Amino acid sequence: MIQVAVEQKVLSENQRIATGLRDALEATGTLSLNFIGSPGAGKTAFLERTLEMLPTGTHAAVLTGDLQTENDAIRLGRYGYPVRQITTVGACHLDARMVEKHLLGWDLDELELLFIENVGNLVCPTSYDLGEDAKVVVLSVAEGEDKPLKYPGIFRKAELMILNKVDLLPYVPFKPELARAYARQIHPEIEIIETSAITGVGFGEWLNWIAKKADKKRASAACAPEREVVQV
Amino acid sequence: MHEMGIASSILEAVRKELLRYPGYRAAKVDVRIGEFAGVDGESVRFCFDTIVKDSPLAPLELAIKPCAGDELDLGSLELEELTA
Repeated sequence: MIQVAVEQKVLSENQRIATGLRDALEATGTLSLNFIGSPGAGKTAFLERTLEMLPTGTHAAVLTGDLQTENDAIRLGRYGYPVRQITTVGACHLDARMVEKHLLGWDLDELELLFIENVGNLVCPTSYDLGEDAKVVVLSVAEGEDKPLKYPGIFRKAELMILNKVDLLPYVPFKPELARAYARQIHPEIEIIETSAITGVGFGEWLNWIAKKADKKRASAACAPEREVVQV
Repeated sequence: MHEMGIASSILEAVRKELLRYPGYRAAKVDVRIGEFAGVDGESVRFCFDTIVKDSPLAPLELAIKPCAGDELDLGSLELEELTA
């Protein structure tokens, strides 16, 4: 009997593809964000409002994941940006291979922003790296304040928490300060922005957050040797 | 929910690793699952036991080692020599 060290990630095949995606998006200076939240947290409406408010001339694209239907791609496709639906036919998360496949044919050189809306689920998508720059967790005030404690994995990995549907606060017993405290208990550095896709509140701050990260990404791509600087 | 995929990934990794050790079969595989990995160990075990028994790798024991952080890693493999 011999013991041999393997020491690799269980999802090493996913990791390999995700690393390839990350390298490709690094070279083109494309900022990629992976949106994760429960079904009904308002991810699609949030992205619709985001697309509507992006500065004219922004090169953005969206991949949206669901088990079934093209409904979200139809909704998100109304804003003039390229959108593709990833139908997982039962799988509870997106994986890097699905993302790679659905990016085929898009000119990444031109692309500044890639939004990936994951399947509505706070658990499984957490384990799969999609080559993104940051995971963004979307929590709505129609849920419980203690979601960060119940699903710590995603709140620990997300760089930003969107506290969505704040227009409903007068009608629900949700305490935003409690949700913030729980999120910071799990992840002290997590950034938090309160938004409503209905009223547009918080979207100025959100778009600034994107702009800052996108600028940084482009700057690092521009520093990389042997590539053209993508003009905004 | 995604534990079946995780279980198949473990089996696939073992199968690939074994190619490096001709003349041996795997008896046990160690997997580290972090408390924030978003993966339920017992559920992985259930899925693993279900699929391993119909695979050429059977019998293969899965040892799950809980740990801190968000690790989901294959640690080591216990190999035994195949008898002719």
